[in-house]
Amino acid sequence: MRARLATISLTLALLPLAGPAHAHPEFEKAIEARSGRTIDCAFCHAHPDGPEGVHAGQIGALSPADMQALNRARTAFEPGTEVDSPILNDFGDHLVTALGKKRLVALRQAPLKMVDELGDSDLDGDGISDAQEMLDGTHPLMRHHGAPWSLFVVNLQRSWFEIVMLIIATFFGVYGISHLLRWFGHEARGALGGEEDPKDG
Amino acid sequence: MKPATRTRRFVAFLAERLPAEKMSLQAMVQKKEVPVHRWSWAYYLGGLALFFFVIQIVTGLMMLFYYEPSVATAHASVEHLTNNVPGGALIRNLHAWSSSAMILSVMLHLLTTFAMKAFGRPRELTWVSGVLLLFLVFGFGFTGYLLPWHQIAVNATKVGLGSIEQFGEYLPGDLADLPRQIRETIQGGATVGQATLSRFYAIHVVVLPLISLGLLGFHLLSVQLHGMSPGVDRPTGRTEKFFPLFILKDLKVWGVVFLMLAVVAICIPFDAFLDYPLGAPYNPLGSTPDGIKPEWYFFWMYYPLELLPFWLVAGGMGVLQVGLLLVPRIFRGTSRKVLRTLAAAAAVYLIVITLFGQAIYEMFSGGH
Repeated sequence: MRARLATISLTLALLPLAGPAHAHPEFEKAIEARSGRTIDCAFCHAHPDGPEGVHAGQIGALSPADMQALNRARTAFEPGTEVDSPILNDFGDHLVTALGKKRLVALRQAPLKMVDELGDSDLDGDGISDAQEMLDGTHPLMRHHGAPWSLFVVNLQRSWFEIVMLIIATFFGVYGISHLLRWFGHEARGALGGEEDPKDG
Repeated sequence: MKPATRTRRFVAFLAERLPAEKMSLQAMVQKKEVPVHRWSWAYYLGGLALFFFVIQIVTGLMMLFYYEPSVATAHASVEHLTNNVPGGALIRNLHAWSSSAMILSVMLHLLTTFAMKAFGRPRELTWVSGVLLLFLVFGFGFTGYLLPWHQIAVNATKVGLGSIEQFGEYLPGDLADLPRQIRETIQGGATVGQATLSRFYAIHVVVLPLISLGLLGFHLLSVQLHGMSPGVDRPTGRTEKFFPLFILKDLKVWGVVFLMLAVVAICIPFDAFLDYPLGAPYNPLGSTPDGIKPEWYFFWMYYPLELLPFWLVAGGMGVLQVGLLLVPRIFRGTSRKVLRTLAAAAAVYLIVITLFGQAIYEMFSGGH
């Protein structure tokens, strides 16, 4: 009973920290300044214009069940609590789960420090960690979105077998068509009357 | 001049440009020789453009099986193709990368043809058909850009079509309304919407390909009839057989380029260059994200339009288009040295504005 009371008191004490549900422009600005790319609230939120509004993924459109889920997410102060917020996307949920709401709010003072605490998670499986995608300003939930050179290196390693097969197929294709053309040229010269076969190296 | 004389001269003009006596397999293929000199590499550029065009048609046809030209489903169908269809992302990347490669090779082909004075008599019509093909590939780029129906597609198309209307400010009387009517005819209504998507789709997949095939056929026939131009002031005297020697080399170049294109298409999704909000589905009620601009191959006119008065840039573009078509007449007596200098200057401008256009724009507009 005492433990439950302590939990409720702590929750009530920390609730103001959670504040109203809104996007944190500090993170958006820091990522844009670091990467040179434009991002929007859909980096972490369900809606590109943030949580305030009446469209799908915004607070005004939430059902009672969604509101309960939102309140549960807003009280996930410490890391390790599994979060499934209706106004966050999977990356936003992952941030709250990995860092906790309290730490996230504190990181607003130094948003890019977050990358040191995110570990090496890679939610979209594109081979670039979520922390690196934050620095690059590329979306951590889009498999086809990433820093072009990083994607090139990752995909080259992943698809090396297909690329080797492609090289072999192209080589044999060009070899085959070349010989077909030579034969065609030889036959044409024979039919039309012409010079000897030219040397083509 | 009497009409009969004019007709005779016109027929003579056509007979020289399209000589019927050379329309044989022997003349066009077996006996054709390709000059060998230090600019010989430029002879491969036209073939490369053709190769990329073929890739465009093949990959475009494949995508037609999945693409839905409706504002409600266009973006979702492209997402489905990219994320769920086996090989769909690769086909889409091949289409996107090869379209850029095609435009680049057509531009390079035009510049080298100009520098080598390959537009001289009797190749004037070859040049004109080539310039028209250049305009067509820009048309392909502009109409194809809208089809994924995402933020940058719709907003960039709005900006592009909006610039047509600006011409009205410089036209007198009733003519001032003509650009608006042209714009609405192209977009099918007062704003960019379903009618615009339907029209752009029809133009992109039917109208432009059909015109291109006709023009390309004429262009290739003309090239085969007249052969490659000497290209230099002092020919080396060395030549090689077009068939099979040059064709075989062409084939090897195509093989290497195909490999490069395929590796790039496998490893780098074309969308990776976009800021992701620009790739989100277009929302007419949502806010327009920052960074709306056209594809790189329009930067040469986009940044001047952003920095200079509209009338100046629009006038310049008009002069450039007419001037390009009249190149064989304007530069008939110009030496290859001067032509190379002009081509080099144009190339430098294109490279600088494409690579550093944004920085130049920010420098002159105060960083906005």
